[in-house]
Amino acid sequence: MTRELSGPEVAALAEAAVPGSVAKTTETACYLKPEHLVQTLEALKTSPEADLVHLTNLCGVDFWDHMEVVYHIQSFVQNHIALFKVETWDREKPEVPSVTPVFHGAWMQENETYDLYGIKFPGHPNLYRILLWEGYPGWPLRKDFLSMPGGLQPGLGEFAGVAPRQEPPVKVIE
Amino acid sequence: MTQTIKSEPFILNIGPQHPSTHGVFRIKATVDGEKVIEAEMVMGYLHRSMEKLAEERTYTQNIPFTDRTDYLSSMSNNLGYCLAVEKLASIEVPARGNAIRVIMSELQRLASHCMAIGAFANDTGAWQTPVMWAFREREKILDIFEVTSGARLTCNYMRIGGVAFDLRPQFEPMVRKVLNDFPPFLQEMEDLLSGNEIFLSRTRGVGVLSPEMATNASLSGPMLRGSGVAWDLRKADPYCGYEQYDFDIPIGYQGDSFDRFIVRLEEMRQSLHIIQQALDGLPSGPHSTQVPLALRPPKGEAYARIESPRGELGYYLVSDEGPAPYRFHIRPPSFINLSALREMTVGGTVADAIVVLGSIDIVVGEIDR
Repeated sequence: MTRELSGPEVAALAEAAVPGSVAKTTETACYLKPEHLVQTLEALKTSPEADLVHLTNLCGVDFWDHMEVVYHIQSFVQNHIALFKVETWDREKPEVPSVTPVFHGAWMQENETYDLYGIKFPGHPNLYRILLWEGYPGWPLRKDFLSMPGGLQPGLGEFAGVAPRQEPPVKVIE
Repeated sequence: MTQTIKSEPFILNIGPQHPSTHGVFRIKATVDGEKVIEAEMVMGYLHRSMEKLAEERTYTQNIPFTDRTDYLSSMSNNLGYCLAVEKLASIEVPARGNAIRVIMSELQRLASHCMAIGAFANDTGAWQTPVMWAFREREKILDIFEVTSGARLTCNYMRIGGVAFDLRPQFEPMVRKVLNDFPPFLQEMEDLLSGNEIFLSRTRGVGVLSPEMATNASLSGPMLRGSGVAWDLRKADPYCGYEQYDFDIPIGYQGDSFDRFIVRLEEMRQSLHIIQQALDGLPSGPHSTQVPLALRPPKGEAYARIESPRGELGYYLVSDEGPAPYRFHIRPPSFINLSALREMTVGGTVADAIVVLGSIDIVVGEIDR
């Protein structure tokens, strides 16, 4: 079985590689400071103990007040997988450094995250809207982007007691 | 008197409507004569924003969406999503449900690889004969799916906690027939293609990827194994009881298009072996556990992945205890496998670009989602 490294284990590896790179730790994930992200992942990729060589999954998550970029990185030799996260609190101009210099596989997934969340990745060689077209209004996977006018949630209509999730604290794009 | 012939760069659109792009996918290739000097991918023609739609529907309602991402392997896609929800809500699947899931996903691998190999032979110039042979065999598997789930392509058969229905009485004889018919067909394909001079010269040394490059570009599935990295999630991170079955991981040594083809062919033999074992030891008992229709998993996140025919298919779910996933992310293998396309095509000829694209085995429904 692939061992899922817990948050403190990943944080210990990251701290050993680059001191001061961990922002906070939860049970499952290790939050890295954006300014140390590239350096830490580079160090963990080359260290034989961590050996995190294969960036499996990269995606964004929107939590209304902040956004996160999630990295699942695994090792073939050690057969373990680590979960890193980076937070960005700016909704107008969210930026997270690109890990493309370390993992070429981030190229596609960072483009996709930019396309659907609007998170810019400084350092990415060619950041463009990969699925939608340039000039598409808004960023579709953000929670304040309503897929239907009025915030209708078509599939959830028949479940009584499903209250609307949260009052959008930000300006809604319709 | 000598004459110098000059050439100048020229932009050539391969696709979107072109049979070699396996759907609506476009390569904007800059060519200098016959040589590709720059390749840019243009995609999104099939984008349906499935992730946004899925965040507004309940966990059970989302299963049919997963059929429509990778429409050539809907069973595997159903399975990956159901595993992610089960991981999030800590649901156990009965032994019979697991065995049926294994048989179905391996049958799906056979069907999908038939399509991959047939279409790849088509791209290299073996016009229509191999693809027709492959379709003849794939049809038998689709018939099994029709008998079991009622649909041939978008099966919607897996459920959270097991599978939708138990197997029909005619299921076992039909699978046994496939097990009998496939080895001669695979031998036939191998005789036709892998010793064929034209096929070899079209695929050997085309689109070579080193193991380091394949790992760094996050490739998975036959793309990664074709480059010599023995990484198969069925062995490395077993799900659905794959650890009970005996099978090998075929790998390639040169990392070219031919190796990816031969890895797929050999994987089909291993799949037959797994189906044989699972069918012989099919446990009795319930096929599914009861799961509430409006499932509300506890707060948290889960990333579950399976070895789909095209590579590592992952689902990342975040729950806020609501009836719908707060975040629904698909890690599509053929989308990420494309990240090495530029490296493989630039420097080769236009005809080689088609072969390389065929060897990646893309499904555009999965790339664009």
